[in-house]
Amino acid sequence: MTSFGSAISEQPLVQIKGLTKQYVQRRPFTREKFTVRALDNVNLTVGKGTTLGLLGESGAGKSTLVRCLALLEAPSSGEIWFDGVNVLTLKKKGVSGLRRQIQIIFQDASSALNPRLTAGEIIAEPLVIQREGTKEQRRQRTLGLMEQVGLPANAERKLPLDFSGGQRQRLAIARALALEPRLLIFDEALSHLDLANQEIILELLALLQKTHALTYIHVSHDLRMLSGMTDEIAVMYESKVVEHKSTPEIFAHPEHAYTRDLLEAMPALETICRERLA
Amino acid sequence: MKRRYKLWCALALLAAFHLFVLFAGFFAPYSYSAQDRDLPYAPPIGIHFFDARGEFRVRPLVYALQDDAHAPGAYKVDKAHPYPLHFFVRGSDYKVAGLFHSSIHFFGVEAPGRIFLMGTDGYGRDQLTRFLYGGQVSLAAGLIAAGLSVILGIFVGALAGFYGGWIDEILMRGGELFLALPWLYLLFAVRAALPLHIAQWQVFLLLLAVCGIIGWARPARLIRGAVLSAKERNFVVAARTFGASDFYLLRRHVLPQTYGIILTQIALLIPQFILAEVTLTFLGLGVGEPMASWGGLLSSLQHYYVLASYWWMFVPALLLIPVFVAYYTIADELQEHLKSVPL
Amino acid sequence: MRYLIRRLAHALLLLLAISVFSFALLQWTPGNFFDAMRLDPRVSAQTVEGLRSQFGMNQPYILRYMRWAHSVIKGNMGYSFSYDAPVAPLLWVRTRNTLLLTGTATLLAWLLAIPIGVWSAASKGRLADRLCGMGVSALLAIPDLLLFLFLLLLAVRTGWFPPGGMLSAGFGRLDFWSRVKDIAIHFALPTAGLALTMLPVLVRHIRSALIETLESPFIRAARGHGIPRMRLLFRYALPAASNPLISLLGLSIAMMLSGSALVEVIMSWPGLGPLMVQAILARDIYVVAGIVIFSSVFLIAGNLLGDVLLFVSDPRIRVE
Repeated sequence: MTSFGSAISEQPLVQIKGLTKQYVQRRPFTREKFTVRALDNVNLTVGKGTTLGLLGESGAGKSTLVRCLALLEAPSSGEIWFDGVNVLTLKKKGVSGLRRQIQIIFQDASSALNPRLTAGEIIAEPLVIQREGTKEQRRQRTLGLMEQVGLPANAERKLPLDFSGGQRQRLAIARALALEPRLLIFDEALSHLDLANQEIILELLALLQKTHALTYIHVSHDLRMLSGMTDEIAVMYESKVVEHKSTPEIFAHPEHAYTRDLLEAMPALETICRERLA
Repeated sequence: MKRRYKLWCALALLAAFHLFVLFAGFFAPYSYSAQDRDLPYAPPIGIHFFDARGEFRVRPLVYALQDDAHAPGAYKVDKAHPYPLHFFVRGSDYKVAGLFHSSIHFFGVEAPGRIFLMGTDGYGRDQLTRFLYGGQVSLAAGLIAAGLSVILGIFVGALAGFYGGWIDEILMRGGELFLALPWLYLLFAVRAALPLHIAQWQVFLLLLAVCGIIGWARPARLIRGAVLSAKERNFVVAARTFGASDFYLLRRHVLPQTYGIILTQIALLIPQFILAEVTLTFLGLGVGEPMASWGGLLSSLQHYYVLASYWWMFVPALLLIPVFVAYYTIADELQEHLKSVPL
Repeated sequence: MRYLIRRLAHALLLLLAISVFSFALLQWTPGNFFDAMRLDPRVSAQTVEGLRSQFGMNQPYILRYMRWAHSVIKGNMGYSFSYDAPVAPLLWVRTRNTLLLTGTATLLAWLLAIPIGVWSAASKGRLADRLCGMGVSALLAIPDLLLFLFLLLLAVRTGWFPPGGMLSAGFGRLDFWSRVKDIAIHFALPTAGLALTMLPVLVRHIRSALIETLESPFIRAARGHGIPRMRLLFRYALPAASNPLISLLGLSIAMMLSGSALVEVIMSWPGLGPLMVQAILARDIYVVAGIVIFSSVFLIAGNLLGDVLLFVSDPRIRVE
């Protein structure tokens, strides 16, 4: 696997080795147990400052993978290394410190924002939880973040339902930036937006990546969108990572059957990509 | 908010009831134990704005009652002795909210006139007075028992829903146990186990405690459901990624989602527990004399002759209806409101 | 099948818990038989101790509990001090009377609630539904106490019905049909009252269950096929809505022994209710414990029956 990131990195930011996650469920009435395997011996690396696309259909394990990475779920076995630290062996204090560095932006911004809180409160919440700064300092930071993502300053007191879908995602991004993370994970975050909004936000993200030296992981099933913004793409199929190449390589030489099927389903895509990346 | 006039009407009605009951000493013309042995089972005395000569009077009057010589036990209005109605009169002493003394009553008539707006019972006690004082016991019973049930329910439901696993299993199984028990008979059983001669207020508190302990199961289940679904909402997950503690998540994000359910449950449980207290006291198993309770007021109706001849003894039961309607209306309106709140 | 076994195990667990509760009640109620004896100066302390060990009163609680549970299962539920008779036969007679009342009332309530609920759901939002809704709310708001007192008043004032009781004087001299008529006329009012108190909750649940079903796609499809309204309601919608209703039925049955206490006392119907009240006032603790056990067993059995009915009627449960 070669890394074509904009910055040549010595040590990858994220290293996932042999990650497996399975859980036991019960059938509704008979209560029989059966095992569901969400992740099967997954290996993955992400370089610093790069953008990785995580591609796969529903149920392939993408969300489970990022949830494990963000310490929202515990894997059944395997290792996760973040910037040289073995994440799974961390104690409470270490976990708290790590949380600041990895943030997730969810697919549905409306569900990710508490409808009863104002925009200002939402963005400041991470600072409140981590007990940073005085009230005034937090407010200043909130306003700064809002400016960075392109939200008007008077939006501070508004409720989420006063915003459009694209603005809500920007709100979520502002919130995620509050603790100055190093890794942002977008879990199908742009799927619900119309193309115009997608473009705007993608531009914003590209800008933020440069200014804040961020690493991104984009989870999506939309190959077209991923093609425009990722350095590498990892394809997940049935709980495994079946292919991980740089983006142009994926389009030029897809190996796995699933990847090939995807590319074939959008023939015009190949020509677009060939033109774009040639 | 303006559209919900039903809700505001119900709340206003309840506020009025509670106000009158809280200041029973002031609004009632007599003390709750004052007996008038000369006038047992007297019918309600009317207020007249026109005197015997047919003239209109701004200050209405009340006539005395005399024994009817032709019908033993019945009364005749004696127009020869009118008593004008006065407001803010001096009467028997009472304590306001148990704190300071007063003897001003809202209305009354000079002795030996009597004003029995709801008639009297077998001991000649003014029913209106006893209704107001009795309300203190019955309404308080409903509020306290419902409050206890809901607080326990919140505690159990939040724990079970938030932590899941074996905590959830045990707590919910326990809840099913409580729901499976015939609560009225359980209440009876506990009452039976208590010595018959302990102080009335102790009986009261114990019964409330039992009601509270029996009643937590349904609110707990509903709150657990709300906590379960709130827990998975992405804003809770997001807060977790910022390093929030469980307590913070519960306090800030999860429990506020349950406020609607909590209020609705309270509105449903209060009338239930009021009725439980009234029923128990009616059967002679609850709060006894001399503490008045609405159940006690109605218990004499178990005798046929009272039931058949003295219709005014029914009135406390009729007055229960608006209270219940008000609480059920509040519960209905809350449920409507909950359905329409955007997710 | 696993489902049934689970529910059965659950019911047995509940039963165990109830028995422990009743046992505890019996043990720790102040003023039991032997305390009174001990106070009696004519009886020596040794005699009391001897009697106590004879009855097994000085053994550890577990053993006492097992002995007691054993005798209860065999049918011996203790002794009533006020009736001076064993408790079990007393309870059976009263239970029979109560069941007569509640069984009929439950049947009546369901027979009325289903058409009213279905009709209300079918005409949702229109005048018929709103009238039903108001009627139900009114009925719900009237405290049971008031309703029963009112019915009693009706009986006393009009003389059409006897004012309470189950049998008239001279019952023994009547022939069979007159006996039936006598009982019937005594239980008309209590049954009617009880049915009225059960009605609002049933109608509400039936209505909401049916409304949910009526809005589902398959009903709309059936309507599109031109299936006549009556058939649609009763042969398509109602069976589909039956899950919550069967649970409700289980609950109705479960409440049959405990729901009638008040009406029995007010209308002097000789069922478990008045017996319970008297027993408490007379501190006849074995009767109290016996009634708690009886009504709990009934309640648990009723819920279990509901689970079984659900299993039988819903193929989804069987297949899983």
